[in-house]
Amino acid sequence: MLKRPAGVVAGVLLAFAPGCEAKPIAFANGTTVMAEYGAGTMEEVQAFHAPYYWLSLGGGWLRTDSDIDGGTRDIRYLRANYLVHRWNLDDAQANVFVWGGFGSATGKRFRGDVLDRNAGFQVDYETRRLYFALMSDLHESNRYSQRIDSLQLGFAPYAHDYRDLATWFVVQARDYSGGLHRGIEWTALVRLFKGGAWVEAGVTAEGKPQLMAMFNF
Amino acid sequence: MKSARNILLSLLAAVAGAVTPALPAAAATIEMDVNGLVCAFCAQGIEKKLRAFPATADVVVSLEKRLVALSTIDGADIGDEELRKALTDAGYTVKAIRRESESLDDVRRRLGVQR
Repeated sequence: MLKRPAGVVAGVLLAFAPGCEAKPIAFANGTTVMAEYGAGTMEEVQAFHAPYYWLSLGGGWLRTDSDIDGGTRDIRYLRANYLVHRWNLDDAQANVFVWGGFGSATGKRFRGDVLDRNAGFQVDYETRRLYFALMSDLHESNRYSQRIDSLQLGFAPYAHDYRDLATWFVVQARDYSGGLHRGIEWTALVRLFKGGAWVEAGVTAEGKPQLMAMFNF
Repeated sequence: MKSARNILLSLLAAVAGAVTPALPAAAATIEMDVNGLVCAFCAQGIEKKLRAFPATADVVVSLEKRLVALSTIDGADIGDEELRKALTDAGYTVKAIRRESESLDDVRRRLGVQR
């Protein structure tokens, strides 16, 4: 069982507090802050600092609200993200990331704080016009096990350059396990980014909003 | 009459040349072809890395041309190996490094990149 000190550390990290479908490591010596609202089923805030392009360290807060039984879980975690491999191609880049960490969780269906274990991976491929990402994020404890799997396919109507506003149209399929949501949640998103700022907004097939903002500096 | 005027103009030009301070030597422009350069975050990371060199005056990144160019302050230089290491440490693959006489502003205009 994880007691207050870990919660305090996570809180301090959140004060400085990145990205779900975005890359877990933006760039070397960079800091990323991210907040996401996922259609009423999940909300997440993250902050990471990358001392190297292949490693970032930080923490986050994840809240899940079950559409099935109304149960909620609040998870505060510390995490390390690791770039397993990167392919730098002429007109594309592909990456495999993994992450792992520990945290503390409270919930409606159990008493007190429990130790949360977190593990996940992301595989992505990106050109200036096409984007593909597959991500899986597992949180488990002795009281629950939940996983959020996301697949994103993106298309840019024009090829942006560094200082331009980039626009992407993204379709996301997301599957929640652990009693959070029944069936695949489909979402259509518009993603805009310029410089180090990224905002994303969309709506699920059920008409619920999904929002995300991320800043790299 | 005409030759007297030419002599006078030549003398004036010679005097003007003698008192006009020499323009600083044009800073070197270094161009690098980089693989994996597909998004603004890539460019941001590379720019940050290259601006960390004390000798760097300015940096231009073109995602379209997969090109990174930098100018150095007068009299300074950054070695190819240092540049290659900086971009490798930023997570990218350098294909080629060239030194050009073109100014960075001209490179920027050629690439159509905003300042």
